Amino acid sequence: MLERLSNVDRIEVMVASFSSILQLGDSCIVDSFSRAIAVQREAEIFYGNEGNPPSFPVTTKPIPFLPITEALSYRVYNSNPVIKVHNLEVIGFSNASILHVGNTKKVSMEARVKHIRQLLPYGHEQDMR
Amino acid sequence: MIFEVYNRNLCVNNIKITGVASSSMVMIGDTEAIQLASAFDTPPESLIIGPFVPLAPDVTPGYAGETI
Repeated sequence: MLERLSNVDRIEVMVASFSSILQLGDSCIVDSFSRAIAVQREAEIFYGNEGNPPSFPVTTKPIPFLPITEALSYRVYNSNPVIKVHNLEVIGFSNASILHVGNTKKVSMEARVKHIRQLLPYGHEQDMR
Repeated sequence: MIFEVYNRNLCVNNIKITGVASSSMVMIGDTEAIQLASAFDTPPESLIIGPFVPLAPDVTPGYAGETI
């Protein structure tokens, strides 16, 4: 099936971090996975090797997908096959996210986040231990 | 289901986005299939109020554990 042309005049991205992709052009399969342990900690201590991802079930538990049982027929009529964007401004891309200008076929993306909050007891904000 | 799409003119002047995070995508173009999944875990016991205790060290091979 004929696909459309994506035409972007200006793209401005400030930050593209943590394995994020700026894809300008067509692709076939896009697959992205990100796993984060987000710790909000009142004590200003950081050891660098903390957090054992497999020990948290959220990172290993499979996410079920229901099979598509419906008979689907898909037909596109592009009378004007151009997608025109004048200006695209994004401040930040993070955690395996993607800016994709162009066509693709299959996209599969997965994100797993474990949140932990560590607060010091009331009145003990000063001491670290 | 019969799904027919008639694309005429598609012109956008300005797109401003603050942030795109955790396996999400900004796409300008056509696609056939998109499959997104996310798992999010904040149980009550993940709010810890008390003296500071570091998390368990990272022991999985090929992660930060070996370099430090």
